Amino acid sequence: MLALITGGSGSGKSAYAENLSVACHQSGDAMIYIATMYPFDEESHRRIARHREMRKDKNFDTVECFTHLSSVRLERPTTVLLECMSNLTANEVFQEEGAGERTVEAVMEGVKRLAEQAEHLIIVSNELFSDGIAYDPETDRYLRYLGEINRQIGQRADLAVEVVYGIPVYHKLPEDPALREIMKKTGWGGADR
Amino acid sequence: MILVIGGAYQGKLDYVCQTFHVEKSQTADGESCSPEEISRAAVLNHFHLLVKRLVKEGKDPFEAVRQILAENPDLIIISNELGYGVVPVDAFDRAYREATGRVCCMLAQEAVQVHRVVCGLGQVLKG
Repeated sequence: MLALITGGSGSGKSAYAENLSVACHQSGDAMIYIATMYPFDEESHRRIARHREMRKDKNFDTVECFTHLSSVRLERPTTVLLECMSNLTANEVFQEEGAGERTVEAVMEGVKRLAEQAEHLIIVSNELFSDGIAYDPETDRYLRYLGEINRQIGQRADLAVEVVYGIPVYHKLPEDPALREIMKKTGWGGADR
Repeated sequence: MILVIGGAYQGKLDYVCQTFHVEKSQTADGESCSPEEISRAAVLNHFHLLVKRLVKEGKDPFEAVRQILAENPDLIIISNELGYGVVPVDAFDRAYREATGRVCCMLAQEAVQVHRVVCGLGQVLKG
């Protein structure tokens, strides 16, 4: 399954995505958590610590990837949770070693390669697009790239979920019966919305 | 408890008054109301501004909310849905936005119903 989990800040996206990963994962071997937040200050260290605490009993191996997603190689096909696209995209746009103007192509190439290697790929992204504020051209370019990436993943994805304060709002549901069985384990009731 | 969320200026209070047959006079305003007012009110409006006040005063919003619900378990809580934008530059804005999200996750879990209002139109997300 390729799944896109999106929502606002503090909406419970991570918890949903972790539970979905557990529901997807059949075997006993470890899942892979691709962490994209670059720890540049104390606040980001705190956020990272909070996320580590949330997933500590869920059998994830953590792989850090701040840029160049397409360089990630999996040793075996497994369930992969990538968190989160808004950080990865920011790193590609703003960091020196990032892809800059080629961000959308670089990230999507990485997603494609990862999806080919993984058994299930669950990507957490972020809804940054509704605050009505006119940003500087750099930030605006970042938003445009992230919007484009979200759209491309949404198009390819089997499942697209917006998490609203812990409640999943389904924008796209899988048609494959095996994936629908996985969805039932996450509490999905079987309706198409 | 019923939770009603949505963006700013979406008609959440009007929706609540129509849907649940309450008067605007039965509303406590999270921006300025006292705990006593909340305990007597049918509706707590601008919940996010109450969280903002609590964070500013260094209080734990989870604790405050637990107390509110213990005193007034049938309250209808209206909150702006925050978090659909770029991470704020200001540290307090980030903290208050984050706290509102986490507390609203807890409220959504405890609520018997969750409604989301867009353009004055309500959608039931839970219940």
